[in-house]
Amino acid sequence: MAASSLFACLPAFAHTGSGSGGFAGGFAHPLFGPDHVAAMVAVGLWGALLAAPAIWLLPIVFPLVMAIGGIIGILGIPIPGVEIGIAVSAIVLGAMVAAGARPPLWIAAVLVGAFAIFHGHAHGTELPPGADAVAFSVGFVVATGMLHLAGIAFGQLARWPAGRIAVRAAGGAIALAGVAFLRGVG
Amino acid sequence: MIGFIGALLHPLALPAHALALLGVGLFIGQQRGRLVALAAFAAGLAAGLSAIALGAGPTAAADVLLALTALTGLLLALARSMPTLVTAPLAVGVGIALGLDSPPEVTSVAAATVMLVGTGLGACLALAIVVAVSGYLTAGWQRIGVRIVGSWIAASALLVLALRFARGQLFDS
Repeated sequence: MAASSLFACLPAFAHTGSGSGGFAGGFAHPLFGPDHVAAMVAVGLWGALLAAPAIWLLPIVFPLVMAIGGIIGILGIPIPGVEIGIAVSAIVLGAMVAAGARPPLWIAAVLVGAFAIFHGHAHGTELPPGADAVAFSVGFVVATGMLHLAGIAFGQLARWPAGRIAVRAAGGAIALAGVAFLRGVG
Repeated sequence: MIGFIGALLHPLALPAHALALLGVGLFIGQQRGRLVALAAFAAGLAAGLSAIALGAGPTAAADVLLALTALTGLLLALARSMPTLVTAPLAVGVGIALGLDSPPEVTSVAAATVMLVGTGLGACLALAIVVAVSGYLTAGWQRIGVRIVGSWIAASALLVLALRFARGQLFDS
């Protein structure tokens, strides 16, 4: 019964959490969710493709809006379809990168911000109760930011024609991975 | 960790204090009137630690410190130039809250005095280093990096405040 109760608490898809507190636990938390990793890297890739000011605006907007989603999750306010929203974020953001979409900046910011709510909510509801809250929160916010920076770094390849193909292919791979997450894989 | 060295490192050993020092240090370093703000922080810290030495009881300083940390993170993310009339009171507030949230975990008066003095010096030294480093971050990409770190600081502090609220601990001294 204890085991079934434990598994009943696990989210449906990839956000398994690290289960431990402190900075290391918080830092590992997003990295153990492939859906989260894919979407965060896609944010960085898209920012790099959109160039300034999106390249730095999106990584600033995301953590702040993610915190709002986290607060909603911590307060126990349910948002329907959080895990579906996270998977869809990988699909949409990956597709934007694959298509080389260049919408107005405010549309990109609103889109990324809307998905940040789902990611933040998932993190907020999975904060371990006994964790050193400050260190854990700093850990997972920094890890999320590092994933953005990884996407931005890879996105710099888009300065060259062959690199641009590689970046857009990476976006396509992320979108396909998102479809897999939606179907419960990962 | 006991002793003067331990007291010096005390502000860095507590994640909330280290986060506050990083946030307010980066913020002051990006503004004019750094010395005034540093002096304001030192004065606030001295006041907070003195209050502890004079027997001040439990306060909500930890939550005030988190709220001020979130505010400095947001101001960093916005990258707006602020007058000294804003930075100095903010620094005073962080100093007071950090001091009040640093009760010595020792029993003797002598050890407590060492802890309070060491904590004060350690916090001022750590802040001065962050302010100095931040002051050198003037290139475009460096300022963007500071804005991104500011958004991380704000997000982290806001999440912890929400967690404390959900647990019924917010402003519960």
